[in-house]
Amino acid sequence: MKRVLALAMIAAVVTAACGAAAPTGGASASPAQVTLNDGKLVIGVINDQSLVYADLSGKNAVEAVKMAVEDFKAKYGENALGGPIEVITADHQNKPDLASSKAQEFYERNNADIILDVPTSSAALAIAKVANDEKKLYINITAATTDLTGVSCNKYTFHYAYDTYMLAAGTGKWVTENLGKQWYIIYPNYAFGQDMEKSFRGAVTKFGGTVVQSDGSPFPNTSGDFSNLLVKAGQLKPQILGVMQAGGDLVNVVKQYNQFKLGDQGIKLAIGLLFDTDITAIGQDQMAGVVYTTPWVWSMDDQSKAFADKFLKRTGIRPTFAHAGNYSAAWQYMEAIRRAGTDDADAVVKQLEGYKFNDFFIRNGNIRAEDHWVMHDALLAQVKPASEAKEKFDYSKVLGTIPAETASRPLADAGCKK
Amino acid sequence: MDLGYVSIQLFNGLVNGAFYALLSLGLAIIFGVLRVVNFAHGAVYMLGAFAAYLLLQQFDIGFWPALVLAPIGVALLGVVVERLLLRRLYGLDPLYNFLLTFGLALFLQDAMRLRFGIQGQPYPTPDELSASVSLGPVSYPVYRLFVIAFSLLICVATWYLIERTRLGMVVRAATERAELTRALGIDVDRWVTAVFAIGIGLAALAGVLAAPMRNVAPLMGSELIILTFAVVVIGGLGSIVGAVTAGFLIGVLASLGAVFNPAFENVIVFALMAVVLLVRPAGLFSSREAA
Amino acid sequence: MTRRDIALLVVGIGIALVLPRVLYSALALRIVLWALFAVSVDLLLGYGGMLSFGHAAFWGAGGYAAALLAKAYQLPFPLAALGGIAVAMALAAPIGYLAIRRRGIYFAMVTLAFAQMLFYVVNELRDLTGGENGVQGVPKILPGISLGRTSDFYYAALPLVLIGFFVAYRIVHSPFGHVLVSIRDNEARAQALGYPTQRYKLIAFVLSGGIAGLAGSLFAIGNSFASLELLHWTTSGSAVLMTVLGGMGTLWGGGVGAAIVLLLEDSLSSVTEAPGIVTGAILIAIVLGFRRGLAPALHTAAVLAWARLRAMRAAREA
Repeated sequence: MKRVLALAMIAAVVTAACGAAAPTGGASASPAQVTLNDGKLVIGVINDQSLVYADLSGKNAVEAVKMAVEDFKAKYGENALGGPIEVITADHQNKPDLASSKAQEFYERNNADIILDVPTSSAALAIAKVANDEKKLYINITAATTDLTGVSCNKYTFHYAYDTYMLAAGTGKWVTENLGKQWYIIYPNYAFGQDMEKSFRGAVTKFGGTVVQSDGSPFPNTSGDFSNLLVKAGQLKPQILGVMQAGGDLVNVVKQYNQFKLGDQGIKLAIGLLFDTDITAIGQDQMAGVVYTTPWVWSMDDQSKAFADKFLKRTGIRPTFAHAGNYSAAWQYMEAIRRAGTDDADAVVKQLEGYKFNDFFIRNGNIRAEDHWVMHDALLAQVKPASEAKEKFDYSKVLGTIPAETASRPLADAGCKK
Repeated sequence: MDLGYVSIQLFNGLVNGAFYALLSLGLAIIFGVLRVVNFAHGAVYMLGAFAAYLLLQQFDIGFWPALVLAPIGVALLGVVVERLLLRRLYGLDPLYNFLLTFGLALFLQDAMRLRFGIQGQPYPTPDELSASVSLGPVSYPVYRLFVIAFSLLICVATWYLIERTRLGMVVRAATERAELTRALGIDVDRWVTAVFAIGIGLAALAGVLAAPMRNVAPLMGSELIILTFAVVVIGGLGSIVGAVTAGFLIGVLASLGAVFNPAFENVIVFALMAVVLLVRPAGLFSSREAA
Repeated sequence: MTRRDIALLVVGIGIALVLPRVLYSALALRIVLWALFAVSVDLLLGYGGMLSFGHAAFWGAGGYAAALLAKAYQLPFPLAALGGIAVAMALAAPIGYLAIRRRGIYFAMVTLAFAQMLFYVVNELRDLTGGENGVQGVPKILPGISLGRTSDFYYAALPLVLIGFFVAYRIVHSPFGHVLVSIRDNEARAQALGYPTQRYKLIAFVLSGGIAGLAGSLFAIGNSFASLELLHWTTSGSAVLMTVLGGMGTLWGGGVGAAIVLLLEDSLSSVTEAPGIVTGAILIAIVLGFRRGLAPALHTAAVLAWARLRAMRAAREA
């Protein structure tokens, strides 16, 4: 017992010395004897490294996973899992067929034990199927579709950071209760947008608001123009303009919202999904005051800041929640292996199901056994004006917490049959 | 669906049309003289927007000078590309230059992404144009009206250049009767570079105009190029007046279509393109018969 | 069949058989199916002189039809693929009828326009097609045989792929194919000789659509999903790229092109941060340097090497 304590203390000192924001997992103290199936652990990260999601996840998400591995070794020793830990990666370019094929290569040829990240819902769902066929683990972080824990759920697939339900439950409720009850929702006419529209409509109505109208914008939006919807908003004069567009589309909407000066007419902006990278593209002052839901903000507390500092040193940017989510998921996966004593997929699944934990990214975490949605608190954040920012990437402040129960889709609605 | 909304949509359509017109005008004169369907035209539009962004960011040069400098800078790049690459493929199947410019578009977009990231860069509306004016029931951004007016001005200027100058004479002759022009001893090739540069400059100009109202990002032109193809085909490949008219027409039609269903914008354009190709293959505004 | 053709056939089948061993099976499957898709484009482009920039319509229509049939009725995959072929051909008939009235770049633009419309329509019909998420969880069924692993499916589907290649080969080497080539070279003369050229072109278009549909069907079932990507214009662009890269009018060039493009894409996805720069530069280099495509260049190299070998042997014997 004494030795255990000493080891734990050394580990703590080492971690502190490295400035690591080492997550405090539930059962982290057990000095498990781990046997890896093929003598090593292989973590695959498949995401978009060259197209629309390259900035918000991409190469730097791979760096985050590598950081997790290094910090894990720093905490538990070089041989923490009884063998080498490799991180391999591929760029799926948002092509579902390339994603599916790469996943098969990773699982079959490279003996990957898990695949992480995977933005783009069609690619995310395609890999869920591969994971189930190969009976290997898959934790999705950057895709938003609730289908991963709904109709397409399976034994080996987990959904970690956020989904459309969470975004609506947070922003839809708060904005309806605090800013205005009459909504006009505009959404991009593809799976993510349709999903968001449905979720927000549900949340707005549930909390006493009304959706005056909702309109889809063309997908893909070849012209980059949203003026017809914005003029319509000017005519309908809702209190809230709910914008479900993401990435480049979102930037276009907000630029044109400002151009039409809808804010001056009392039409407030509510944004479904907002990454720090979007704020960079639009300009912080253009976005100031906007309230949005996010699983994590890098400046929210010291623990998160410590991670963000390390990340900044390594990559030159502050982490988005997708980067942080990848670190956290990789960490919790390795913790589960320690608890299981093996990297055998079924044993690790058993360890993950029903596991309750906290780390710098996940608060009040609970991996729901029934559908593999990782329940956790979400945050309500607001973009600050640039004058309040302490540094270049200091974009948002936290307004409040949305409890895990509220932020998670009720099991009954999931429709998951594993 | 009140009349006010419909009439505002008309203006929105003209704004979109202004971009289509500039882009398709450039595409059309390049096709007319070089027989090159320039797949990189969307990437050039992107370069124009980035050039404006860089001028502001690096040298503190604002919107108005950028409106002149950025297109010239990008057009010079076009000269290099024409001299080094396109020139080698004249006289061969146009398919080759089509593929070459496709490769060029991939290259340029990826290079810009590596340098600036995918997400986009902010660009402010010039102060002089950031106000709104009242247009009936709604206030309308002055900048948008400026885009319509400026694009029209440039289109008319280009038309003048082509109708009234020697350069234009050669361009027109080469567009309409290429073999005959050569046979008459006119050195078409000498003018080719100039025409390519003008076409490229027009696309870059559209990019500068777009910077204050569209996301300045490496992929901003990658889908737009397909739509521009449709516009040029509807106007008649190589037809100067046709490209401009079709540009504004498509902008307005798509915007009015969006009054009924915003999602139908895309379908309208391609349905119209198919119909035009089948009924009037030389384009809506051309008197010639095409193959 | 000449001796050279038979030799090529044997080599081709041999490569197809060992491909999943050399590469991994999912990549091997993508290569043979894209190769078949590229061959369908080459049939039109290389032999009929028609550049279709909208062939994704038939690849995608086949893929969606087969995926939906397999999922809804639990059909064995060859039957679902037959359904995919039928739908693709049924779609190719009206599009082809309209498109063949135009030539050259206009033909390319008409096909692009129709493919784009299909893309938007499929996205709109999301109750049926799943919108952008696509049709997920498509079963791979063959009574009595388990197709759980991709390598199993590869070998189960290979006969159908080979039939597709064979059909393309037969078309090209039939009297029909010769007429098609003569139309490509000089349509007016073919017409003057009394051939109903429009009908020939239409038949070629529909057959090509059917082959693309077969490839797309197997692609969707093999991947267990059909998604909008199948119908995107870049998919049409890739097929044209493969054809030109390998060499137009050679049929087997499509296979070479598909292999190069996909191997490149696969390795680049793990190696470089700039797939667009590499792909773009290679495309530019090919267009400037190897305009006839890599397949003829490879062929020339092989012939030269063979001749040299024979010369060396002759010299030794002398």
